Amino acid sequence: MIIITRASITDAELDAIRERIEQRGMRTHLSRGVERTIIGCIGDESLLAELPLRSMPGVEDVVPVLKPYKLASREFAAAPSVVRVGDDPSRPGRVAAFGGPAIAIIAGPCSVEGPDMLRETAEAVRDAGGVMLRGGAFKPRTSPYAFQGLGATALKMLADVRRTTGMPVVTEVMDPRQIDDVAEHADMLQVGARNMQNFSLLSELGRVKRPVLLKRGLSATIKELLMAAEYIMAQGNRDVVLCERGIRTFEVATRNTLDVAALDGFRELMRRLAPFAAAAGRSLGASADGARAGAAA
Amino acid sequence: MTTDPSPSARDAALDTLGRYRQQIEQLDRDLVSLLAKRVALSKEIGAMKRVAGLPTLDPAREAEVIRRAAALARDASLNDEKVRDIFWHVIGLSRAVQVDE
Repeated sequence: MIIITRASITDAELDAIRERIEQRGMRTHLSRGVERTIIGCIGDESLLAELPLRSMPGVEDVVPVLKPYKLASREFAAAPSVVRVGDDPSRPGRVAAFGGPAIAIIAGPCSVEGPDMLRETAEAVRDAGGVMLRGGAFKPRTSPYAFQGLGATALKMLADVRRTTGMPVVTEVMDPRQIDDVAEHADMLQVGARNMQNFSLLSELGRVKRPVLLKRGLSATIKELLMAAEYIMAQGNRDVVLCERGIRTFEVATRNTLDVAALDGFRELMRRLAPFAAAAGRSLGASADGARAGAAA
Repeated sequence: MTTDPSPSARDAALDTLGRYRQQIEQLDRDLVSLLAKRVALSKEIGAMKRVAGLPTLDPAREAEVIRRAAALARDASLNDEKVRDIFWHVIGLSRAVQVDE
């Protein structure tokens, strides 16, 4: 349920409406836009059935949110959202914005293999106009015998490169036990395609104060992706960027099929018109070399 | 780039900084001790609720506490949304001791 308020609403009126809702044991979320302010109600909507919300001062309209992904739906927000990565006063450096007027390019190696390689790549990415560096520390490999990533060592290298280049970094977190360590070193936490529906991982990420880059599962529908985002957002972390990285189709000449239409789907369905990204490397990378150059635009 | 301050000005600034930090530390101690007092009082309230046959959880009362905190925060020129969040956590502390009894 969302409550759309009149532009002239006062803070005291907003407080009074929220108090009435919270009295029923629900929570409220305020979204202030230029033209309108929206109160989002989170919880069991049947609790609001007898409340005369529509007649309360300052209320313009009361609209049920029919979509199962409430927080992720566009209806819940007053304005398109921008997710800012690296916006942490304790960490000097640049800020990358997703969902704003500019296209944010993330690039970097599939996995971090050493300090020199990472620094050179980072400088190349920065000079080419990229705003963020990616690099895998923990790698989800199809084979348990393939290189699994440098782990904690790679996290430190990523943090070092962030300090020298000022570019925020994103890296994948595969397991809830890695979250604290990754959040300490990286500016954004990535959920890989294979973990898109790892719901305990998603819930834990909802409690973190870092933006999350959520990649679409190999065979996930757009709705399933949005429900995965909802898991993170329901725990309090509203900074989720969706990433289309190619899905599994009958075509085998390219490793994955980049579902370009999905980007428009996100736009249509998603909260706040929002931040989304497309990973090119996965779809182009049939060869080992191509797969190393995972890039997101 | 800022120009280097004179050594005496720098010493004076560091001195003041140290004093401010001590004040912050004292305020933090006060905050925690106030929280402990609030929790202790909540425990008593929980006991009284049981004697009076009232339910332990009282969402109406919680909503009132939040609204008052938000209004006070605005009067004090603080971010009222953040203060709301903080107070939900404060209420959580009190609620936990009432429910655990």
